[in-house]
Amino acid sequence: MEFKTVLTTCPYCGCGCGLLLEILDGRLIGTLPSKTSPVNQGRLCVKGWSVHEFVTSPNRLIRPLVRKADRLVESSWDEALDLSARRLKEIKERHGPDSIAVLTSAKCTNEENYLLQKLTRAAIGTNNIDHCARL
Amino acid sequence: MSKKIKETVRTLLVEGKIRGFLGLIERDGHVMPHLFGDPQELEHLSLGDHGRAGDARYPLNQILIQLMRAYPEETFAVLVRGCDERGLRELFKWQQLREEKVIPIGLGCPEELARACECEKPFPDNLLDGPKGEKVEGQKVARVNAMDIDARLRFWKAEFDRCIKCLGCRNICPMCFCKECTLEEANLIDSGEIPPANPTFHLVRAIHMVGRCIDCGLCEEACPADIPLRTLYKKVAEIVSEEFGYKTGYTVDEKSPFNIIEVK
Amino acid sequence: MTNSIEEIESADCILIFGSNTSIAHPLIATRVFRAKARGAKVIVADPRKIPIVLQSDLHLQHRLGTDVALINGLMHIILKNGWERKAFISERTENLEEFRKVVEKYSPDRVSEITGVPVKDLETAAQYYAKAERGSILYTMGITQHTTGVDNVKSLANLSMLTGNIGRESTGVNPLRGQNNVQGACDMGGLPNVYSGYQPVTDQAVRQKFEEAWRAELSARVGLTATEMFPAALEGRVKAMVILGENPVLSDADSHHVEKALEALDFLLVIDIFNTPTSDLAHVVLAGASFAEKEGTFTNTERRVQMVRKAIEPPGDARVDWRIIQELSNRLGYSMDYDSPRAVMEEIARVTPSYAGIRYDRLQGDGLQWPCPSTDHPGTKFLHQGKFTRGKGLFSAIEYKPPAEVADEAYPFQLTTGRIHVHYHTGTMTRNSPSLEREVNECLLEINPEDARELGIGEGDRVLVSSRRGSVSTRVKLTETEKRGTVFMPFHFFESRANILTNPMFDPVAKIPEFKVCAVKIEKMETGSAR
Repeated sequence: MEFKTVLTTCPYCGCGCGLLLEILDGRLIGTLPSKTSPVNQGRLCVKGWSVHEFVTSPNRLIRPLVRKADRLVESSWDEALDLSARRLKEIKERHGPDSIAVLTSAKCTNEENYLLQKLTRAAIGTNNIDHCARL
Repeated sequence: MSKKIKETVRTLLVEGKIRGFLGLIERDGHVMPHLFGDPQELEHLSLGDHGRAGDARYPLNQILIQLMRAYPEETFAVLVRGCDERGLRELFKWQQLREEKVIPIGLGCPEELARACECEKPFPDNLLDGPKGEKVEGQKVARVNAMDIDARLRFWKAEFDRCIKCLGCRNICPMCFCKECTLEEANLIDSGEIPPANPTFHLVRAIHMVGRCIDCGLCEEACPADIPLRTLYKKVAEIVSEEFGYKTGYTVDEKSPFNIIEVK
Repeated sequence: MTNSIEEIESADCILIFGSNTSIAHPLIATRVFRAKARGAKVIVADPRKIPIVLQSDLHLQHRLGTDVALINGLMHIILKNGWERKAFISERTENLEEFRKVVEKYSPDRVSEITGVPVKDLETAAQYYAKAERGSILYTMGITQHTTGVDNVKSLANLSMLTGNIGRESTGVNPLRGQNNVQGACDMGGLPNVYSGYQPVTDQAVRQKFEEAWRAELSARVGLTATEMFPAALEGRVKAMVILGENPVLSDADSHHVEKALEALDFLLVIDIFNTPTSDLAHVVLAGASFAEKEGTFTNTERRVQMVRKAIEPPGDARVDWRIIQELSNRLGYSMDYDSPRAVMEEIARVTPSYAGIRYDRLQGDGLQWPCPSTDHPGTKFLHQGKFTRGKGLFSAIEYKPPAEVADEAYPFQLTTGRIHVHYHTGTMTRNSPSLEREVNECLLEINPEDARELGIGEGDRVLVSSRRGSVSTRVKLTETEKRGTVFMPFHFFESRANILTNPMFDPVAKIPEFKVCAVKIEKMETGSAR
């Protein structure tokens, strides 16, 4: 038996509230506001209070999908990643690196954003990278 | 940090009397709820004081309900202050927790905290450590009582106007254990409105605090709009005490006039 | 934000401009409530009567898209009364005279006519803000999502400089960023013109630094913005896209156009945690991890870098996104070999001056606010103390320009878009949260009761809303939140996609579309004719 709370940062708006995820035996069972976080000082909005709901939603994607005969079907990671890399390489060779464009994510971490812009610029060779800052 | 509490919990854990101790841990400069299963972890035990006394308290009894639903046959110890002990008593009466499976680890509150809370009994009867503080005479309810009825309504409506319907008052409440919540009843409260129906929303919740609210103050601390919810529920408690002679959480056997569940 | 969230509490006047604060940034609204309780004056400038108006001393309900005129009008009054801070202006700014020539043209009467705000309210607002010891401006997309978005922001900067309300505690021009890590995505170089820390791709010395650090040859050509990528795809210049955790089919202006663009691609790769209308169009969809399933950092709107800690494992075969990116890069022939997000942050700190002092060990506790140039630097609470980034603060002389599309006979209403309290952006997360979906599960077009009466529309009726770009069916809500002639739609709902209607015309500099104003018509639909 294990129960713990894990302090993390809310994934909704730009306030950056500290919240505690309640974990019982490896399962996410609830959310509490962090009393000791500088931004929210023990408070949350209605969205922050409910973050555990979407994380544990049965609608989550749980494996890669690949389009076959006009339908997205489940695949292995190797198949999906190999296909993606092959297609991107083909398009880059045929049309040049600027024929590829990347949208990175204001929902992902700094580290992930850094890596994706590095991939875009160093691996693909284009500066065609942006995200939803304007939206 | 309380040696007495640490030693008592360590002994309970080592002797196998409890499956775990539900308390607070200090980690990465923050205080958070934690189930201590390993005596070694007690090194990081916190009593919920971060910047000020008692400013990092959490609804441990609410978590305890979840633990005991998952592990009904296990015994747990839990950190309780005076308010939490009142909460345990009501939760036993409402059959949300089983008394024989809970070992309270009692902590008395310092005067600073008791004053901030205007607490009527800032220590648990099961006092293991901390002071056995004096009752603090409340000013906040008195100030509202001093207003005439129209001014009172204006005061509360102005406070409720800030409500953003986060539902934090309900969500953090260790005494809100209902499976269905009246605040989500569309016939009473229109959904999608900010502020929610004023004053209906807050009065509906206040009425449901009758015989439930143990005056822990977590609701007010969780309110992003700084609505003085504790004053509202203290007033509710005052009415219940005057009209029905019932004081929530002060007795072990006597049930609130609104608790009609029969123990079999 | 130039300043920090906690500082808002101690401001003497808060000017909330185009921000539905208590709905979109509730925990910042908390600080506004507290300032108000301390006696601060709160002014809300917004075309809609949003909830925080209830907490304000004054509501300037200006017409959509008349922000520059309104701000020029306030500055006109300030200059006319001599309320500007002369010492601050002479010491720290330049170009006041050019600027004054334009502002002089914005007399209260003229501004009142353009904006619809009474002259008396303009004067009161100017006085509250200019005379405050500490005046703080909060704004969001109500300012930026216009074809004049940059003009609007510069106008607010003018206003703060004119009154010396910048570079000090509890003052500043504070954009409240809408997404948890939109600040970080910008900081990390998720933009077509800069590497991490806003280092330009066109600067040869910078490029050389990154070429050495990354051991790769880098392009000197500025890339496409998101709003340029979709037209480029339709024109065949962009053939493939990789989309990480975004849903442009719902979030971008002129949704039909975006869909056509994505369908025209030879290859579309989407990485997400849910299926979305965007992933439905993909050739490959990779299952990523939610924030609860990975380690990393987010940077909030006050530039505070905070830890994201792993609490649980990703579901099924889903993988953490940084590993997905690394594996894709390796397959593309560019080697990445990080063992953890911590190692990535160490590299970020090496190549990014504003993050140079950021280390995971230092982020426990309260995190760190950049600029944080060294490992012994405590972080920066507010910007522009003593000096602006460019040296002297530049007053920009800005003329008012109306929105790109205004109401006319064919499309007599002005539509504005935004968020509601229980939903977020395209709803990918909130609409998968049962408690939020229970509170509101459909789009409601908000319309003034008088306008509804004239159209013969009642509460809950279904209407067809049309712009020059398309039509959307939705039910209506009659509310005084909207003034006559203006209607509002949230953009969270795929069933009633507000962005089918919005105007993709964008600001020439920032390339931000004019989500906040377009012209629409509204027709009542017969029961059963929903489409």
